Amino acid sequence: MSPLLTVTDLCVRAGDKTLVRDVGFALEAGQSLGIVGESGSGKTMTARAVLAALPAGVTASGEIVFDGIPMVGRRERDLRPLRGTRVSMVMQDPFTALNPLQTIGEHIRESLPRRVRRDRATARSEVARRLAEVGLDSAEVAGRYPFQLSGGMRQRVAIAAALAADPDLLIADEPTTALDASTQAEILRLLHKLQRDRGMALVLITHDLRVAFSVCDRVLVMYAGSVVEDAPSAALMEVPEHPYTLGLLMAEPPVTHVVETLTAIPGSVPRADDVATRCAFAARCDWHVPQCAASRPPLAPVGPGHLSACTRLDEIRPGLRQRRERAAAPATATPPPAGTPILTVSGLSMTYRTTSMVSRATAKQAVRDVSFEIAEGESLGLIGETGSGKTTIARCILGLQTATGGTIRLGDLDVSDHRRLSAKERRRAARLVQVVFQDPYSSLNPMLTIGAALEEAIAVGGTGQSAGELLEMIGLPASYAGRRPSALSGGQRQRVAIARALAVRPRLLICDEPVAALDVSVQAQILELLRQIRRAHGTSMLFITHDLSVVRQMTDRAIVLRHGEIVESGDTAQVLDNPRHPYTVSLVESVPGHQ
Amino acid sequence: MATIAATVSSTARGVARAPVMVRLAAAFLLLVAVLAVAGPWLAPYDPAAQDLMLNVSGPSGAHWLGTDQLGADVLSQVLAGTRAALIGPLVVALGTVVLGASLGILAGYRGGWIDALLNRLADLMYALPSLLVIIVLVGVVGGGYWFAVLVLTVLSLPSEIRLCRSATLAQARLPYIDAARTLGLPAGRIMARHLLPNIMPTVIATFLLDFVTALIGLSGLSYLGLGAPPGTPDWGTLLQSGQNLLADNPWISLAPGAMIALTATCFTLLGDWLYDRYSANGDHS
Repeated sequence: MSPLLTVTDLCVRAGDKTLVRDVGFALEAGQSLGIVGESGSGKTMTARAVLAALPAGVTASGEIVFDGIPMVGRRERDLRPLRGTRVSMVMQDPFTALNPLQTIGEHIRESLPRRVRRDRATARSEVARRLAEVGLDSAEVAGRYPFQLSGGMRQRVAIAAALAADPDLLIADEPTTALDASTQAEILRLLHKLQRDRGMALVLITHDLRVAFSVCDRVLVMYAGSVVEDAPSAALMEVPEHPYTLGLLMAEPPVTHVVETLTAIPGSVPRADDVATRCAFAARCDWHVPQCAASRPPLAPVGPGHLSACTRLDEIRPGLRQRRERAAAPATATPPPAGTPILTVSGLSMTYRTTSMVSRATAKQAVRDVSFEIAEGESLGLIGETGSGKTTIARCILGLQTATGGTIRLGDLDVSDHRRLSAKERRRAARLVQVVFQDPYSSLNPMLTIGAALEEAIAVGGTGQSAGELLEMIGLPASYAGRRPSALSGGQRQRVAIARALAVRPRLLICDEPVAALDVSVQAQILELLRQIRRAHGTSMLFITHDLSVVRQMTDRAIVLRHGEIVESGDTAQVLDNPRHPYTVSLVESVPGHQ
Repeated sequence: MATIAATVSSTARGVARAPVMVRLAAAFLLLVAVLAVAGPWLAPYDPAAQDLMLNVSGPSGAHWLGTDQLGADVLSQVLAGTRAALIGPLVVALGTVVLGASLGILAGYRGGWIDALLNRLADLMYALPSLLVIIVLVGVVGGGYWFAVLVLTVLSLPSEIRLCRSATLAQARLPYIDAARTLGLPAGRIMARHLLPNIMPTVIATFLLDFVTALIGLSGLSYLGLGAPPGTPDWGTLLQSGQNLLADNPWISLAPGAMIALTATCFTLLGDWLYDRYSANGDHS
């Protein structure tokens, strides 16, 4: 049987810039393929090329054959009958992928084949059947609008719409990235089930190897526009045969145990054109030798169905194994320091009230009666999903919002209401607590140079450090002081944001999802940097995150927040290993790859 | 200020790579600026010198744009009138931008009663027919040119405040502003150093648009005899004085009219281009 989809020598270019180079793979009917890579790896462009739905100005060359039909160079009008009916796509963001003015029922009906749509009764029962297939009750949701549904439900609707015409191939582009952890697990299980039950082929694009392993038969690892490894999931999970795949696997901090040092891949992803004639990964590879830069290594078979683009594989294989084993060994947990509390939050609550002249005023309680302490030098994890109130708590501590009830004390300073503080007390509060935000792209003023941004913070702290010293402390060359944020990568910007927070030598550092917006290989760098800072300065930390691996690696104690209330708290190891509250249990079970 | 200087110098470099129309507009405005400074010296004749023998005459070798009913050279009057035609709009635009941007940033960042008050004031002023207000006020007070400039400034404030306020609102919710607040920086510093440079595209674009509106507004007032005092060479006044002589020498009205229209168009073109260029991603350096 010939494969359903064959891609050979696919190159994607935007003008004279190469985005994807020489990608090839084949997908049998009913099989699932994961394309894994960081941002800039070309995974999305590869998938879009398959649908022949590249953005304007981007062109594909090479050969893509779908069920005997060549897709490259085909006219738009000839492609239209294929899209949505034989090949279908699910997008990343369920919040914008649905038309806000159409009901859920209309969305599904629109995607049904014309013969089914013609008859009203058939269409209605068909819509109900499609919604039931993705686990939604038609009577309940068909008449609703997208904004009335949660993110997970919307993504189910998007999947149902994509499957309405019974395609032979479904392409899912990061279908769970925008969702909460527990919803993510449900959607992945659903995709996996649908793919098996329908015998449909699936291409899943993701940056998370664990997600790919949990759903796909084969995994293609892409780096800087080309494929570096192609193997069956099980084989790749057991024995990665390329240093980059190993790096990616190890960069994801384990959720099961604390490791001594988090292994990060140094540096960041290069552009495809900069590495056209050498091994793309050489500059970041621990095993590279001069010959790696001499030519581009081809994908070569290294095992049954297993291809790798590393020429030195036979020499470095023992090294790869050894690295893996060393990381698997758990470190002994250090007992949390019991010092005087630096932060005391008691009975904190936050109610948002709306006042309206035309409708009744409503009140929404975002945080209710939350109390906790952080001791000097301690690190506390605040675990919660979207809407759990964790960011609101952080903003109240920082004085960016004023809580409607309860008290917040920083050491002996009462900061419950920043508006009541004198200018002197406010400056003191700023020296006690600082913050690192989630999005490194908007947390630096685009018009200020890095140096100017740091000098400003140094002036507040009065520590007499120079911007150059701060930059070196967080692992950037001092010469970066003259650059603007736009000249820096996401990881570098996050380092600068950390440097700015540290400029005042705070006693407490609030980290609000500090790595959630970063690529996997960079996440570990930032986490390791924060660990070093804590070790060197004894800074207390409040880690706000939905990622349990981050909590495991970075915190001594953890609090689980749900709908603004604390449902569980205790030592990190105890909360993650023996969760007592059903909600915590569901969180722990939703980690990809959890048995 | 360093940031603004950097913006301006990179703008100068950018103009060289701009579309043809924008480059033409920039060249024309440069010419107008030269005329505003050196107009009276560049004029071939003394614009006030009369040659009653000539009376109204059409274009000739000696007088390229002809003469008016007193025999004064039209070209010289147009050149000499550049300064008077531009200085008023410039003052209006500067005043509007400085006041409007300050109040807009204040309203957007601080919110609360300041925001509410400024918004209601703006609503109130939107409800007034501005041209009528100017004509009535300037006519009743009889304050002349500079009074007209003042009234125009006040009238163009509401939209400037609104635009700067919404640009500020978009920036103020970004984490870098939260980070600055967390550092305990004073509000004035956050507004001047963090917000202002980031809403600069809006400020520059509205400055140019305010200038255009004021140029047309003041020329219109001069035409109605409410702007520049009679006797001073000014495009608006010239436009009016040529009205009765259209049959004998249409250039008395056409030349200043064309200058007003071209200057306004060029400013608008440049403003659009600058806005697109700087708001695309905020930083091109």
